[in-house]
Order: sequence, then structure tokens, then C-alpha cells
Amino acid sequence: MRGQRVLVSGMGSELGSLVASLLEAEPWVDALEGIDIDPPRRRLRKAVFHRIDPHNRERVVDVVTRFDPHVVIHVAVWEPDARVNTATAVRLTDDAATSILGAAAECPALERIVVRSAAEIYGRSHGSLTRPDESAPTMPTSQFGRMAARIEATANDVGARAGVSVGALRLASVLGPHVPSPLGRLLRMAAVPFSVLADPPFAVLRDLDAATALVTAARVGLAEPLNIVAPGAITAWQAIRRGGRLPLPNIGPEWALTRRLSQLFGAPVPEHVVETLHRGRLIDGARAHEVLGFRPTATTPEVIDSLYAWPSVVHVTRTDLGSVEVGVA
Amino acid sequence: MPAPTALHEIVHESPAARERSVDDWGRDGRLIRLLAPVASLRWDVSVVGSAHVRRGGALIIVNTRTLALTPVFVAWALSEALDRPVRFVGRPDTVPFGPLLQRVGGLLAQPTEVAGALRAGEVVLLGAAATRSSRQAGSIDPALLAAAIREQVPVYVAASTSTMFGRQITVDVAPPLRMSRRRRGPLAEVELAEQAQHRLQSMLDSPAGPVGPR
Repeated sequence: MRGQRVLVSGMGSELGSLVASLLEAEPWVDALEGIDIDPPRRRLRKAVFHRIDPHNRERVVDVVTRFDPHVVIHVAVWEPDARVNTATAVRLTDDAATSILGAAAECPALERIVVRSAAEIYGRSHGSLTRPDESAPTMPTSQFGRMAARIEATANDVGARAGVSVGALRLASVLGPHVPSPLGRLLRMAAVPFSVLADPPFAVLRDLDAATALVTAARVGLAEPLNIVAPGAITAWQAIRRGGRLPLPNIGPEWALTRRLSQLFGAPVPEHVVETLHRGRLIDGARAHEVLGFRPTATTPEVIDSLYAWPSVVHVTRTDLGSVEVGVA
Repeated sequence: MPAPTALHEIVHESPAARERSVDDWGRDGRLIRLLAPVASLRWDVSVVGSAHVRRGGALIIVNTRTLALTPVFVAWALSEALDRPVRFVGRPDTVPFGPLLQRVGGLLAQPTEVAGALRAGEVVLLGAAATRSSRQAGSIDPALLAAAIREQVPVYVAASTSTMFGRQITVDVAPPLRMSRRRRGPLAEVELAEQAQHRLQSMLDSPAGPVGPR
């Protein structure tokens, strides 16, 4: 399976650039290109990066069809209130799915597609399963969940038309030292709101584990949806205690005020994060081990502990910087 | 961003606090350990026959008495006897009882939820329909039993005896049920449910009580 051309959409994001850096070390990857609206967050030695607005469909189609990838890893997913507000996140994600996956369908060499989806796709309506596996119906109840459902639908449509395999990784909330995550940002605030009457459990995923799962799925040609989640779970109260934060108990109606105040303090709380804190979010990740042979390296409590261990400011010296070798086309 | 020192003083962390987390299904072993002394004031449960329960997923059906919280205390007692978590079916999905019961090992009464837990190798305790007398076995929901058949895990019955005000409770776990006939369709769970109810009733009717010779 050597000599594969791999396209990473969303290469500018933290997760996308992490995926790209892992792909650079894969022997089966011959050429690596990426597209995003923002430049990559880390140094990439071999990858060629194209900075394109996903709305610019002509340019996207031109770049993708010229590269003619064998594999597309679609990470161009903007979590609401992570890098941009909810409305912009919806627009960018939908535009990227249409233009990049649409362009991929026109490539004769295309063999497989792997998309980044989200655990929010299952929804948390009343009576929904505590820990859904991949066979559970997808009934999203938040904007992010609906975005994930649309990405999977678009990818499956492209896969059916182009006759290529499509794998979707439904990731739990991805946390990492530099990952712009609304949940991570909220938990790192000095005072953290939580739902005192519910305080349900949720699970998260370390960024490196998410990236490893995406690369593994691309290598094996995953052709089904898979849940990816760190083992174990934690409640907001437990996370607050572990982080030594001040707990702000909320019963229900005052959440609207809490969300506004939190936004003022620099940590907007989108709908799916409120849902996580109110209703919990667990998923069954056992099948990922069966299909990919993949096991996350960090448990949920470990990811939460490292969330609090990360320094706020990292001072980078001139010697640390070295030379920037990102190929920008 | 490290929290200000003053906040650290307000939220003083004990070493035990750092251990806080729940398992994959939201069960909080530490909370159960904290509640155990309180529960022992009300219930004194002795378990026999727990050696019948093999490793891996298992469904245990227990008779329940109205307003007795039988699945909760039997699940806790079995957890201790088996030295592994036992989850009970029947938590509501409403605040505040739903999340609280989830923390002490509750699952929703949905076939898919039960199937997921059994597939994950969990021991699941399913209560028969509640009756007024602890000597009477209620009916069993075949839809929930179907999960055990689909996941091919053994089904056990456990007879429990309790009184309204007494503390002494006995839980007797019988060897796994064997289906008298192989069925391919939904008759399998219906017949298994009837068999389980009859087995439970015969254990409760035994002159020596549930803990009789088998």
C-alpha cells in the first residue's frame, strides 16, 4: 500500500496539523497535502499546505483534483465556540464538507475517505441510551451534533457515488494542551459552573489519541462509523475538584445567565457543552479496538488532570523555534 | 491557568478528592463505599450462591417487593460478593433521581441499554415486576431478557427475602437457567421469562426458604 497520496482537510487546526505530522512519519504516505482557512499550528516537514477559504469552491476543486488523492482525511470541522462562533462554525463546516468532499468525488484515484465526526451525533434527548455504541440511532440534539450528522451524510453520499469506502470517527470531546475546546476552556476557568441536581458523567479524548485513530482509520481503510473515546468517565463536580476550581452550582434557569457571564470571561458555553454538563455524554468505544486495534493512551481522568497541568503561557526561545519548514503553496 | 491561591483555599483538595472519577457507565464506586455504612443500618444482606456467576457478562433476575428498593441493595450486596460491579436495571431519566441512581449503578430499562452492558461484560441485575409479598415472584419483561439471549450471556435467578421492617435479607443465586427448547424467534425470550419466574417462585416456595438444598 505504499505510494499513497493523502489529502488532509482542516490541516490548519490543532487536530489537523497533528494528523499531518503523524502522517509524515507513515511509510505508506508518499505525498501529503492539506487545505484550511488557517495556517498549520505546528511545523510540518513534508506536507504542502494550501490556505483556501472553503467557500472558494473553484479553488478547492482545482487544488484537490490536481493532487488526485488516494485518501482523504476530512478534519475540517469547526466545533461551535472553539475557534469561531456557532453561526460561523456551521457555515465553515458545511462549506468545507461540500467543497472538499465534493471535489474528492471527482478524483479518479480516490480509494477511501475518513471523516472526523462527533459523539454529539447520538444526541441526549430524554430516554436516550447512557452509552450508545455505533448501532444506536443518531438523533442529534445540539447544533454540533447536527453538523456531525450532515458531515457523515455528505461523506456517505460521496462514497456511494464514487464507489469508495467511508469511515467516520465519532470523537468524544477532544482536549489537548493547545486544542481550542469550549469544554476545556470552561473547566480551566477559576470558577466553573456545574449542574448540581444532575452532575452527569462524561468522557473525553486526548488530542494525540484522536489523531492516531484518524491516521489508523485511513491506513486500514475504515468503512464504518466508530466511536473513539478515552476509557473511564468523570462528572463536572469531580473535574472541578481535581482541578481545584471553585464550583458554581446551577439548578437550571440560571444557566442562561451563567452562559452569558462565562462568555464575558472568555469562555463561551455552546449548546452541546451545556448538554454535556446537564445530561452527560458517554459512548461505547469497544469496537474501535476490534476494528482498528486502537486503544487510547490516556483515560478520561488522566486527560482531565493534564488539562489542569498545562501551563497557560509557554515561553518559546529562539533555539526552540528553529526554522519554519511548512510548504505553503 | 492555575487558579488563584485563595480559590485553592476555598476548595481544599484532599488526597481522596484526587481519586474521584466514575466508571464507563457512570457508576461511582467511591460514593457507593460512602453510602454502604448508611445502607447497612437499614439492610443486612447475606448472599449465597454467588459462586455460580461466571466471569464475563451475566443477567441476574431477582424478585422485588413494592417500595423495597430490592434491585439497589441486591446489586450492592452482589457487587461485594462477586468483587465486581453489578448494575441494576430501572433508573429513571429525570433529574435528580436519574443521575443519582446512575452513580450507584443504575441503567435505563431499555433493551438496547441492557444489551450494551452485557456485551461489555457487565453483570446486570433485572428486577421482576414488584409484588406485595417477598414470597411472590412477579412477571419478567421478555424484551429485556431478549438482550441476554442476543448477547449469549447466562441468565441466573436470585431469590431475595425481605420484610417491611426487618433488616435481615437473604439473596440466593441459583445456577444458570437452561432453555428447555431452542427457539429462533421471540418465543425464546417469552419462554425464558416464564421459566425464570417459575424458577424464582419455586425457590421462594421451598420449605427451607430460598436457601434450600438444590
